[in-house]
Amino acid sequence: MRADFLDRYARGNTVFHRLNPRTKLLLVLLIVIGVLLTPVGAWPVFGCLACGVYAALVIAEIPTKYILQRIGLLLPPVLGLALSAPISRGFQGGWELAATITCRSLLTFSAGLWLVNTTPFETLLGAMARLGLPNRFVELLAFMYRYTFVVFDELARMRTGQRSRTFSKPGLFALWISNASLLGMLLIRSLNRAERIHGAMCSRGWTGRMPEQS
Amino acid sequence: MTSPAATASAQPTHSRATILKVDRLSYRYSSGQWALADVSFEIGLREVVGLVGPNGAGKTTLLMHLNGLLFGVQRPMAQSAVTGVPPVAPAAIAAGSQGKTGGAVEVLGLAVSPATAPEVRRIVGLMFQDPDDQLFCPTVGDDVAFGPKNLGFPKDEIKRRVAEALAGVGLTGFEERSPLQLSFGERKRVCLAGVLACEPDLLALDEPSSNLDPRSRRGLIEILRSCRAAQLIATHDLEMILDLCTRVLVLDGGRIQADGRAFEILSDEHLMRTHGLEVPLSIQLGGRKSTLPGK
Amino acid sequence: MHIPDGFLSPAVCVGTGTIAAGTLAVAFRKLDATLASRTVPLTGMVASLIFAGQMVNFPIGLPVSGHLIGGTLAAILLGPWGGCVALALVLFVQMALFSDGGWLAYGANVFNMGVVGSLGGYALYQAVRSRIAGPRGVLLGGMLAGWGSVMAAAACFCLEFWLSHPAGEFDLRKIWMLMASFHSLIGVGEALITGMILSVVLVHRPELVAAQITSTNPARIGRFVWTGVVAALIVAAFAAPFASEYGDGLEAVAEEAGFASHATESTGPLLNDYALPLPGTDRESPLWGKVATAMAGLLGTTVVLLLGWGLCQTLPRPLTPREDVHAG
Repeated sequence: MRADFLDRYARGNTVFHRLNPRTKLLLVLLIVIGVLLTPVGAWPVFGCLACGVYAALVIAEIPTKYILQRIGLLLPPVLGLALSAPISRGFQGGWELAATITCRSLLTFSAGLWLVNTTPFETLLGAMARLGLPNRFVELLAFMYRYTFVVFDELARMRTGQRSRTFSKPGLFALWISNASLLGMLLIRSLNRAERIHGAMCSRGWTGRMPEQS
Repeated sequence: MTSPAATASAQPTHSRATILKVDRLSYRYSSGQWALADVSFEIGLREVVGLVGPNGAGKTTLLMHLNGLLFGVQRPMAQSAVTGVPPVAPAAIAAGSQGKTGGAVEVLGLAVSPATAPEVRRIVGLMFQDPDDQLFCPTVGDDVAFGPKNLGFPKDEIKRRVAEALAGVGLTGFEERSPLQLSFGERKRVCLAGVLACEPDLLALDEPSSNLDPRSRRGLIEILRSCRAAQLIATHDLEMILDLCTRVLVLDGGRIQADGRAFEILSDEHLMRTHGLEVPLSIQLGGRKSTLPGK
Repeated sequence: MHIPDGFLSPAVCVGTGTIAAGTLAVAFRKLDATLASRTVPLTGMVASLIFAGQMVNFPIGLPVSGHLIGGTLAAILLGPWGGCVALALVLFVQMALFSDGGWLAYGANVFNMGVVGSLGGYALYQAVRSRIAGPRGVLLGGMLAGWGSVMAAAACFCLEFWLSHPAGEFDLRKIWMLMASFHSLIGVGEALITGMILSVVLVHRPELVAAQITSTNPARIGRFVWTGVVAALIVAAFAAPFASEYGDGLEAVAEEAGFASHATESTGPLLNDYALPLPGTDRESPLWGKVATAMAGLLGTTVVLLLGWGLCQTLPRPLTPREDVHAG
């Protein structure tokens, strides 16, 4: 299984995909802070920003359907929380604040979507390392990202094996049990693998820290 | 760590032609079960030795002892437990090791212990069975450079070694590729490159040809043939042993059951069958002659 | 669970981020001392495992389904500091790959789930384990910790959310009630999934989750029940009064400082001060709010304990040391 579903659109080739990742990252952070500092009810500002972010998403050739899908998943908790503003006032006002919070979340989320869908993970990681993300954290992230694919593959194989021996549609309870045992076995296998990786690293001179390279 | 100057090139005062000496090595799992019992053998400089045996014989466990990932014990007295064919070890016997025995495993005269493990790992390169256990870096270049970096070499030297190792396995120009984009055979070759970049004097290989398609397998055999380090190859691929090895060890139940010339051992039908193996087809069909493989 | 940007003010993000960064720095130092050269492969692998494990859906018969969150599981496998780092890794990848969780709110997310969730969860786990010997302690401790860490993260979020907005805009008690009721459900799910995974591991490879597991001492069953009750009370006590006392306290401070001058005192037609006006409840009385939150806490804890007790029954009684399985 080639797990490219993880970054489906990040490897495109538009203007924004080619843009320097550090520029993109800083731009998104700027948008986020800007949105947060925009006062409640400043609708023209939010409108302009939304148009800008949407245009950026379109130019980056990220399908609208995908964007809507992601926003659809985010919306329920955001709305629930935003509604706590009117609830706090017994539904006497607070609506403007609720709308503002919803707008802020959706705007910053879309900006984030634009960033992660125009920048592959390792590029983004490299950019963040240059912006000062500590080295040890970067190493760990690179390691984790690498093995995410291996673990996914293993999970997919185990699932296939499980399905091939399933002869009827399982009930909810049976599904929970089979999923939990799947994860339990995956855990055991992964920890065994971690032990082997550690051995392989040691056999090439690993002592716990990446040697400093000038 | 030590300075780059004092690396693998540092030759211990060891005049004999052995690179590895395993003497009455025993290892016990935490469950109490013996994984290795009284394992003794030697490997000469530039000798290529096969290690065969059924699943669970202790092959991987033995390999892990060679570069200090596991530490076994040396049994005080060798119980005369070695059964099967009497050992015929041409290179091994010559040495007559009567000197001080520092430990169960010695590499170039250096007893393998937690303290010497870093030094031992410069001499012995271990290649794991599953390439995903070994290739953990984001790019091929990083991964091949991992060993030399840990050994503390300067940048130019690392660059040279990476280029050379990748060229050696026929993957020049793959530096920037991600291991995720490679085929299984390519990943296996990158693993080998990662070990070769450390320029070890002894290569310990765990199932190097398993899961490879015939062409990749043939390519790997050619790479190993061109490699000048001594090799200990644990495998079920008996045809490969006939292609590469002058000598073969049979390990079963944690004990060395036979040690001798590859062709003779592999054509001993009774011995092979006793230890869950079989005489390779090329010998059965009479195509293979008792000649030593040319180097 | 992942806080998107837009909810928290930059000041709160920076504050929680600073705490999170400091904790991670300490965590790395602790890891170097305990895991040594295993830090990278082990922590990284557990992080990938949890990330992948979150993709396995646990259906609940509705369009939405549950999944593992994994903070407690990571802490049990790696210890509190390793769990903290592993969660920070998972959260980072989710942010940088899926845009789940805000960029500016990353620090807050790490704080809630990694620092509070993992460290707090581990403390709860240890508290239970020190009283109940053997795999039952691991299982029950892990489940309670799973539940507790979800609730703790939710509580932190409420506080952060409340602090991010001008005093008087939000009623901390009401946000907490909203969050507590949802998250007690999520927490029960997390406890159950964690417990089921743990029981699989406890059967097959018990030494992975606890080095010093001994077989259960029958004399300790009495203690087992006691600890369960005590733990339940602790969690309920933690959950329930938070809404009333702590909220009141903070609001009192805000009022005194003059921030709350524009807080409205009006009572809505539908929802009064304490959420749903049940028939027969005195609208002016703060009782309902406390009861509701306490119910969420108590009910959740009880359910988790019952489920934990049930899962304990599936564990084999005498645990034999595992036969080592090594590849030849």
